[in-house]
Amino acid sequence: MTSIRIAEVEKRFGTVRALKGVSLAIEPGELFTLLGPSGCGKTTLLRTVAGFNRQDSGDIFLGDELVNDEPAYRRETGMVFQNYAVFPHMSVFENVAYGLRVRRLGRKDITQRVEAALRRVRLEGYGERTPDKLSGGQQQRVGLARAMAIEPRVLLLDEPLSNLDAKLRVEMRTEIRDIQKQLGITAIYVTHDQEEALVISDRIAVMDGGVIQQVGPPWAIYKDPANLFVAAFVGSMNLIDAEILGEGPSGFLRANAAGCELLVPAPAGHYDLRRIRIAFRPEDATGTGAAPGLANELRATVKTASFLGSAVSLDLELGGRSILVERARPGAGDILEPGSTASFAVPPTSILLFHPETGERVTAVGEEA
Amino acid sequence: MSRRSPLDVWSAVTLAGFACVLMFLIYPLFDVFRYSFIDKTTGALSLSNYTQFFGRKYYINAFIHSMFIAVATTAFSILLGVPLAFLTTRYRIRGSAMLNTLAVLALLSPPFIGAYSWVTMLGRSGFLRQALSSIGLILPPIYGPLGIILADTLQYYPFVTLMTAGALMTTDRSLEEASQNLGARGIRTFLTVTLPLVLPSLTGGALIVFMMSLSNFGTPMIIGGNYLVLPTLAYNLYTSEVAESPGMASTVSILLMVCASGVIALQQWASTRRKYASMLVNRPVQKRLGPVWAGPAHVLCYLIVALSTLPLAVVVYYSFRNTSGPVFKTGYGLASYRSIFFEVPKTVTNSFVYALVAVVLIASVGTLLGFVIARRRRLSVRVLDPLLMVPYMVPGTVLGIGFIVAFNRKPIYLAGTGVIIILTYFIRRLPYSVRSAASILKQIDPALEEAGINLGSPPGRTFRTIALPLMKAGIISGAIMSWVTSMNELSASILLYVGKTMTMPIKIYLSVLDGYFGTASAMSTILLVVTGLALYLVNRWTGKAGATIVGL
Repeated sequence: MTSIRIAEVEKRFGTVRALKGVSLAIEPGELFTLLGPSGCGKTTLLRTVAGFNRQDSGDIFLGDELVNDEPAYRRETGMVFQNYAVFPHMSVFENVAYGLRVRRLGRKDITQRVEAALRRVRLEGYGERTPDKLSGGQQQRVGLARAMAIEPRVLLLDEPLSNLDAKLRVEMRTEIRDIQKQLGITAIYVTHDQEEALVISDRIAVMDGGVIQQVGPPWAIYKDPANLFVAAFVGSMNLIDAEILGEGPSGFLRANAAGCELLVPAPAGHYDLRRIRIAFRPEDATGTGAAPGLANELRATVKTASFLGSAVSLDLELGGRSILVERARPGAGDILEPGSTASFAVPPTSILLFHPETGERVTAVGEEA
Repeated sequence: MSRRSPLDVWSAVTLAGFACVLMFLIYPLFDVFRYSFIDKTTGALSLSNYTQFFGRKYYINAFIHSMFIAVATTAFSILLGVPLAFLTTRYRIRGSAMLNTLAVLALLSPPFIGAYSWVTMLGRSGFLRQALSSIGLILPPIYGPLGIILADTLQYYPFVTLMTAGALMTTDRSLEEASQNLGARGIRTFLTVTLPLVLPSLTGGALIVFMMSLSNFGTPMIIGGNYLVLPTLAYNLYTSEVAESPGMASTVSILLMVCASGVIALQQWASTRRKYASMLVNRPVQKRLGPVWAGPAHVLCYLIVALSTLPLAVVVYYSFRNTSGPVFKTGYGLASYRSIFFEVPKTVTNSFVYALVAVVLIASVGTLLGFVIARRRRLSVRVLDPLLMVPYMVPGTVLGIGFIVAFNRKPIYLAGTGVIIILTYFIRRLPYSVRSAASILKQIDPALEEAGINLGSPPGRTFRTIALPLMKAGIISGAIMSWVTSMNELSASILLYVGKTMTMPIKIYLSVLDGYFGTASAMSTILLVVTGLALYLVNRWTGKAGATIVGL
């Protein structure tokens, strides 16, 4: 098992700074995800680890070895590509054997290892097929088997599921995690799909603009976002500008949010601004409905009500901002007419605070730990 | 510990590419350029050649003639090419595959065969002209501008057909349907939707015709009579100037190149200007023509193709006629072929050997340079790329003059060898090979090569085991096309050959001049068969192997 250490890595393409001094320490055996929108630098970082890009400065270590000057073909990283990159002129067997032949293994060894790898991805008996006879999911399994067959130090997965259909994506992401855990191999997984990242990862690094925004386990990334970018990118987050009115009960402040008076957590330590941005997740809204009279209540105009089967999603307008709230197990009366007024409550403890200008998280009393 | 070598395989390839271009292109062309500024009598640097060119009607006329021929040929090619493309792609025309093959065969046939065949039909003692005059229809002999335009048009119009048909087959049917749905009738839809959509491709094809016609040497030489165009003028000047510096010939060459590069620039501009990338959701379907229009449509298509195939058929026919020297006798036989194999077997083997050696060079160097251009966009490669395209705009005659001047003195003597002819084939065809290799690679996902590298295979091995096998079909069909064009090359080699390095096109040309039509016909037929065979092989290769590339 190999750790990966990325230290102050900078990469420029022309005038564009794709990576702005990125540092990460990935534990042995960990499934580590780089999550972010396209152009955030996640793929660039992965390709730099693989050796396809040479960083302008900074170091990359695989285990204890500094690999900056190792060409890509000597790095012993197993990469799985977004568009499979299965060699179309070779059979499945030859694809998986390719890296083993490069390493001049004996014929017997090769057969054994190829078969083991194919078994692991549930493609026994597919060896003689040509890639054009395989479905997308099967091709990606070949890609995975091929990368694992060389027993690489680390596994690098570059959006491996994004070309598959939704059902297969869900199926294969657990499969990939299972295989990775069985082998105990360190893996970097790149994706722009936040749900995929939450499901599959031991830890996630959220990236934007060539900078790591936050590193943490899925739970922390979702529940405890470090800034507005992470908050909005992972899941959906409602944002309301609020004006602090004064002290509330212990640990809380009274605030005016778009004309409604709310209790919000009091910022820990010294906070001298009058304004603050409050945030909450759609599923944290409670008591959604037409009837007013709740504690910590917000009232907003309904723009659209979308019936999703298991829930109703209400798109509301509040003080010029769009607000999304969800009501699980809806009744017929919960699908409100556009233009009507909806009331809902937000428990003060599920409200997060952000700095109105920098977008950084403002820690609340009780959150310091 | 750095294990990266500063000079990898691909840097070496780039370097070799520069060496090739400098040595066999820039060096000879610079000589042509230099000589065009040297006064013939004083040997001093001067503009006298240019002032002389623009001061004498004889020279100016050649320029005007060239332009006239090129414009007329282009116009007629559009006139023939567009209807053929439209009818065969949009309507069901019986035997359209055969029509297509025959048109392409005419396109690829040696450029002077058409001209020479029209001479046998409509020349001074042409059989067709005599037959027509016996029924009272007296035509003037075909020599001169009309002959050149006729022969050029019937050879080059397929460029327009192919390019336009290609675009017509990839325009989404829904666009025309939308137009009709909005109330535009058939002809209006064609003029306002279909035609504008295919116009970029049509223009591209037309400019190729213009270029080919402008730099064609064989046709005006054989059928032009006294009507001089720039390539034939340069040739005449060169062959009469040979003892001294090729001053005036160089000047004409430079002017010809300026015109040619103007056309290329126009073509580049046209091809980038408006490209309608189409999603091609709905492929166009071939409609069945109504009973009224089916007849005329078929007649038109067959007439166009028949006209362009006629010269080829005549040549084949004459190759089996018995001859006695320049005179055709009654009866048929293989005498003409026999005489080739007994009298000039070296000519035949020269053609095959030179073209084969050239093709090995073209395919290997072209593939490697194509790889560098498609995959390694470094500064040096970005400089090399446009340089490699220069041979596109160098007419054969110009390159021939450059070679004979540059390689007939220290440090490189190549005059009179087969090597110099092979090198002209090589350099003239190299841009096509580089372009085609690069465009094949653009269809191959670079991730495949990265996967190879990632699995531990060094760059050279990755190229050999992954890129090369995927490019194979394209490289082979490209090589076959290069071989055909090299076999049929005349305009540069005519300036460079000596007795022992004569090739078939040169021999055909000389036989035509001497009136030995039998020998010329037989040799032309051999070239035609070779061309047709190559065409068939390419069709088979790309048909079969194309799927592996597309099916990625």
